[in-house]
Amino acid sequence: MFHWLEKNPFFFAVGVFLVIVFAGLIEILPNFAEASRPIAGLKPYTVLELAGKEVYKKDNCIACHSQLIRPFKSETDRYGQYSLSGEYAYDRPFLWGSKRTGPDLHRVGNYRTTDWHENHMWEPQSVVPQSIMPAYKHHFTNMADIDTAYAEAVTVKKLFATPYDAPNGTPLGTHEEAKAAALEEAKAITANMKNQDVKDAVANGQIPEIVALIAYMNRLK
Amino acid sequence: MELRELQGYAYFFMTIFLVVMLYGYIIHLYRSEKKGEKDYEKYGNIALDDEIDSKPIEKNPKLSKEKEGANK
Amino acid sequence: MQSNAALEYDYSVAKLFTYTTILFGIIGMLVGTLIAAQLAFPQLNYLIGEYGTFSRLRPLHTDVVVYGFMLSGIWATFYYVGQRVLKVSMAESKFLMFMGKFHFYLYFVGALIAVVTLLLGITTSKEYAEFEWPIDLVVVVIWVSWGISLFGLIGIRREKSLYISMWYYIAAFLGVAMLYLFNNMEVPTYFVSGGIGSIMHSVSMYAGTNDALVQWWFGHNAVGFVFTVAIIAMIYYFLPKESGQAVYSYKLSLLSFWGLMFVYLWAGGHHLIWSTVPDWMQTMGSVFSVVLILPSWGSAINMLLTMKGEWNQLTENPLIKLMVLASTFYMLSTIEGPIQSIKSVNAIAHFTDWIPGHVHDGVLGWVVFMIMAALFHMAPRMFKREIYSKKLIEIQFWIQTTAIVLYFTSMWIAGITQGMMWRAVDEYGNLMYSFIDTVAILHPYYVIRAVSGVLYLAGFLLFAYNMVKTMTSSKAISEEPTNKTPMAA
Repeated sequence: MFHWLEKNPFFFAVGVFLVIVFAGLIEILPNFAEASRPIAGLKPYTVLELAGKEVYKKDNCIACHSQLIRPFKSETDRYGQYSLSGEYAYDRPFLWGSKRTGPDLHRVGNYRTTDWHENHMWEPQSVVPQSIMPAYKHHFTNMADIDTAYAEAVTVKKLFATPYDAPNGTPLGTHEEAKAAALEEAKAITANMKNQDVKDAVANGQIPEIVALIAYMNRLK
Repeated sequence: MELRELQGYAYFFMTIFLVVMLYGYIIHLYRSEKKGEKDYEKYGNIALDDEIDSKPIEKNPKLSKEKEGANK
Repeated sequence: MQSNAALEYDYSVAKLFTYTTILFGIIGMLVGTLIAAQLAFPQLNYLIGEYGTFSRLRPLHTDVVVYGFMLSGIWATFYYVGQRVLKVSMAESKFLMFMGKFHFYLYFVGALIAVVTLLLGITTSKEYAEFEWPIDLVVVVIWVSWGISLFGLIGIRREKSLYISMWYYIAAFLGVAMLYLFNNMEVPTYFVSGGIGSIMHSVSMYAGTNDALVQWWFGHNAVGFVFTVAIIAMIYYFLPKESGQAVYSYKLSLLSFWGLMFVYLWAGGHHLIWSTVPDWMQTMGSVFSVVLILPSWGSAINMLLTMKGEWNQLTENPLIKLMVLASTFYMLSTIEGPIQSIKSVNAIAHFTDWIPGHVHDGVLGWVVFMIMAALFHMAPRMFKREIYSKKLIEIQFWIQTTAIVLYFTSMWIAGITQGMMWRAVDEYGNLMYSFIDTVAILHPYYVIRAVSGVLYLAGFLLFAYNMVKTMTSSKAISEEPTNKTPMAA
């Protein structure tokens, strides 16, 4: 039998495939239903927060920052309560990262403020003198993509039954309503900011990336 | 039966099955060589003698006549 | 079939992929060296505006090296080795010749688009799977065209039995295909929302912990199948051929193959130890990672034993030296990985620089050395000229070996230092160091790593120079060499 397999490339390939697919079938698939349940009280991201998450992805913050607090005392002392599976139920994709060149951010909203982020993203060394993080000044001039964020919310609502517009959920509404809501949220954030260009942009109905990013950072709790 | 339980059984028996197959393969390799049915080591020469007109270790019977020997 | 001219192996596709191997090797390592230097000297983040920050460039480094340099190298060797061990020429089939060229040109265009989108920040932000959905579709077509070439060539073979290298190429093809497809299951938001927002944007079909599971099942294995399986395919051909010694034990190579296939996919869980995936999966990832030592070392020891009684070649032939060092580094990194997978070690090592340190043991020492040795072996046979300079290979060998040692020693120390400082507590049980203390202390190690990057890149440029000279102006050879690759002093 073995010898026959070695002479028949097609069945050989099938054999290899079965052996390598085995781990995935048994280990990964059955876990799906269980691990995607949200913890009680978890709300989907608002459109502005989603746009901020896009900024986080676009500048690939996961290259240096994790969002996963491991169950050790040294980690819970430093970052807060260890992470639970259900907290990530609305994270598509997951943004755990694999390297901490900078600190974990899973609960950064608990101990950093809008004002702190504004200074830090503009010039990290002004807040943390020894920091090796680059400045992200372009977040103050580039505009966040609210339309795409809305499209994402609509998509996850339709396909994955993410509870938008549900009782105790996050309101979404129509495209226009969502844009207006995002702008309101942005205004609340810029009230605590000092960069005049950013304030002017929001007053004119535009939302710079930094505002969306801060909305997302503040949401991480 | 619950999913978790099924997963456990599937894992257990598949692993046993694959381990048995792997050991069966070892026995097969050595036994067929001992009995003189098959010399696996000769396949190592496929890499060494690999000119297009050198004689295949084992000819592919599915090939048509005209293609059988390159340059011959 | 032609009638008069003698049939020869046709290396036109292998040559094309050889060029891109060199090209993407230079780009990928240049970016790698730059981002290593950025960690030591942050001012270097601002060279090209928003496109030049560490975070934006890091996926460019990993993807260009993995999918640019390594895949090109794998395909260059496949279009060379495949013909030879099957004893069939690509010139015998117009269709396969077309597929080979189609494969190459589509790949090249796809790679360029991928580079541009990554610079623009169009990314899914899943490591090693950053490409957005339109590029993923192109990747599928590229992969399928390789599959057609692979199985097409097998279909018209003269040699009935498949040599072990072909087994590994087939496994690499299947493994990566499956993993890539499942990990990149994503929905373009533009279409579902009825035409709102960016057409490039997509959302993952998996959420949170599930996404992490699939991602690291992919991350460990797809990249592993590229770093490991396809590179083993190369060494099983090039080391015996270059040294004139048949594989020490063909039976051991078969066993190691099945062992590797069976065990490899289980080990992905070791990337998620102490995370929120179920405990038994973490344990499973840990256990199987340790078991994985057996088939890995099976192949590596088989390679070293192939040189039994022929160790004099190590001093005489620099290509043998490259390959022996490659398999030694393979052994080193396949013992290091399992050590890091042990839960208590992982608690310190995870998230630190020890992890990139480990990866680079494997890639700088094993993958790149093996690919360079393979291209050096192929060049005189493809271009009918001897290697331009043996001396340059020797110099390159020592520069790069020094670079690897500097890289992994500095990253070991950096990683363990940082891991220990994160958890250090004073006599009252309070944390001793703020996070920034654990960053500032790494500066000297980041400097050493940047220096090692410069050295390694310099060695690779020597390789590129030597290859270009070999292709264009080296002494012509009249007959194809049997084993030892001819080279000018």
